[in-house]
Amino acid sequence: MFGYADEVSYRVIAHLDLDAFFASVEENVDPSLRDKPVIVGGGERGVVSTCNYIARRYGVHSAMPMRTARRLCPQAVVLSGDHRLYAQYSRRFSDILDEYSPLIEKVGIDEAFVDLTGTEQLFGPVIRTCRTMQRRVQEDLGLSVSVGLATNKLVAKVASDFQKPHGFTVVRPGDEAGFLAPLPVERLPGVGPAMLSQLRDRGVVTVGDLAVVPQRLLMLSFGEVGEVLARRARGEDPRAVTPREVVKSISRETTFEEDTTDTALLESTLLRLTEDVCRRLRRQRLEARTVTVKIRYSDFITNTRSRTLRRPLDVDEAFFREVLDLFREGRQRRYRIRLVGVGLSNLVPRAWQDDLFDQELPLLRDLDLKLDAIREKYGRNAIRRGAAEE
Amino acid sequence: MRVVTRKTDLVESLAIVNKAVSSRSSIQVLSGVLLDCMGEVPTLSATDMEISLRAPLAGRVEETGSLVLPARILTDIAKSLPAGEVTIEQKPGESQVEVRSKESFFSLHSIAPTDFPQFPVFPLEQGFEVEKAAFLQTIDRVAPSASRDETRPVLTGVLIHVSKNSVKMVATDSYRLSVMETPIEASVADKVQAIVPARSLLELSRIGASNPAERIHIVPTSNQVLFEVGGVRLISRLIDGQFPNYRQLLPESFDYEVVVDKAEFLEVVHRVGLLAQKSAPVRLRFEPNTLTVAAESQDLGRARESVPIKYDGEVLEIGFNPEFVVAGAAAVDGDSVVLRFISPLRPGLIKGVADDDFLYLIMPIRLTD
Repeated sequence: MFGYADEVSYRVIAHLDLDAFFASVEENVDPSLRDKPVIVGGGERGVVSTCNYIARRYGVHSAMPMRTARRLCPQAVVLSGDHRLYAQYSRRFSDILDEYSPLIEKVGIDEAFVDLTGTEQLFGPVIRTCRTMQRRVQEDLGLSVSVGLATNKLVAKVASDFQKPHGFTVVRPGDEAGFLAPLPVERLPGVGPAMLSQLRDRGVVTVGDLAVVPQRLLMLSFGEVGEVLARRARGEDPRAVTPREVVKSISRETTFEEDTTDTALLESTLLRLTEDVCRRLRRQRLEARTVTVKIRYSDFITNTRSRTLRRPLDVDEAFFREVLDLFREGRQRRYRIRLVGVGLSNLVPRAWQDDLFDQELPLLRDLDLKLDAIREKYGRNAIRRGAAEE
Repeated sequence: MRVVTRKTDLVESLAIVNKAVSSRSSIQVLSGVLLDCMGEVPTLSATDMEISLRAPLAGRVEETGSLVLPARILTDIAKSLPAGEVTIEQKPGESQVEVRSKESFFSLHSIAPTDFPQFPVFPLEQGFEVEKAAFLQTIDRVAPSASRDETRPVLTGVLIHVSKNSVKMVATDSYRLSVMETPIEASVADKVQAIVPARSLLELSRIGASNPAERIHIVPTSNQVLFEVGGVRLISRLIDGQFPNYRQLLPESFDYEVVVDKAEFLEVVHRVGLLAQKSAPVRLRFEPNTLTVAAESQDLGRARESVPIKYDGEVLEIGFNPEFVVAGAAAVDGDSVVLRFISPLRPGLIKGVADDDFLYLIMPIRLTD
């Protein structure tokens, strides 16, 4: 692998990230868009979901409020996006990767990790396999993809982002820390704006700066996250490529724009997240028994609490009270809260088995299915329970 | 202590008490079996703190005493010994126990018997007796519906209600419910009611089935119950709590009724149910003169089978867990089974044709998105 013969103890992991995915799909549908700035977004959240590289030249980027984007680039073509079409492209993208390894982990709709360890015997040198995948995505789907190849997920991901678009970056075994060192520290996954400003205050600008901060100090500032951070700064990442088919848990979390102690906001956010994870649960035809609530305070101390139902279920209503109870029990500090999350685990295939002692269950399922149908058509926020309003 | 028994007797008594040997307990003494030779008849006992079992061991005591040996290895040894006499002996002041048969010799580390939980003493005269066959049959038809999920302990039990001339048992795992009332003569002064772990009752049924005794002696206390059948004693803890009000779950009327041949119905549901894996339902479609049973699993494929039935009502399609359907229909007495329904989202009922003593209520599985 990597052209060396004897390094069998390394894993070989590629990260493939479709360049300006939604916008590229739109350009395939309407080639006249190719030389215009294209922004996909707006809709439910009022932010840019993606934009093509021409729009990026005007300073537009994803997650930017739509209003700002329009101001920066008034001539941009703004599209609300055809998510069904994107999902189709995304599936075809996975189908191509599937041919080269059984270990594919899709991350969202437009990225995937591919564990290529041991595939040389089938497909020859790994670098060539990566080139083939990149070429096939271009030829078969008309999409540009950036590839990062490294010995772990973290470095592969940073590498795929290194020379976007249509990048191809290989980080050889042993070079991980050296590759990351000169990069700005915010390139590390997990370093968000709040953490970044704390790091900057301590004079940490590059990943290399971070790598020399003793782990003990990082843990003091960021709690358990600090430990992960220290490891990442050294280019280490023990996470395995886990195929999505075996969904072990479904979770969603929200970082507030500003840390908050507003109970009403916190609780309605949790209910919204609960609706979202339950909907994903139903989409995957699963039922869950365990629900987890995560609270992260402004000082990064994180508390998670779980509860297990007496039987697996997939109705929103079954989890609402548990989530609020867990939150109320778990919120034991007066600190402002930075992030809350809801997770479902202990997943089993959906049974939809009715219950003698819960005669309301069929009605709740009806309700959820109707709400799902509306959301499928008009978007996630088209309909919300009163308590889960934004 | 020294006792002389025979291989077959030792194996047989161990097989009875082994079911109470704790398999995962971290308390070492509970993985042992107590051989008690203090009285006239030697006995073997074991307990996992939920069930305690004591069985007589045919043999002669040559020196009184008691000892505890690891149940697992003692059983393996007993089974492998040649037929004939077996001597178990612990010499005074020694912790090793010798097991001898013909030329075979084992010296085993024993467990201190002082740590072994005291077998509870029951006021036998306060109990009552019931007829064994009818009592065990009621257990066999009801107890399998109890839950195996410890998160709701009360549902892992069977509600037993004994009066002078009947015994009634109820069990439910919240997906199905079995109720059976059996006419039985019980020498009970007043009504007695308790929730007994289904596991204990099924154990009692197993012991009782291989035992010639005709009656079961039952002594309930506030938190435990003793069953004695043919010299074997089973003591079970009782489950504390409120058993759900099952009467209000039984619908007063049904809109659909079908009678099917029991053997054929069981066979078809079992066969088609092979393709109802990973929580997939079997679909029962009733239409005039035909019942169609169908199932589908994403990874495997589909199955379908039709059987002629006497039915002239409206078309009804309803889904169930095939295991629950099979368990319910199999528990019905007689050659035919009555199926009653209200709607695809309401409970269904399985019972015998001329038999209202046994009722099996079953919740459907939703079929359509």
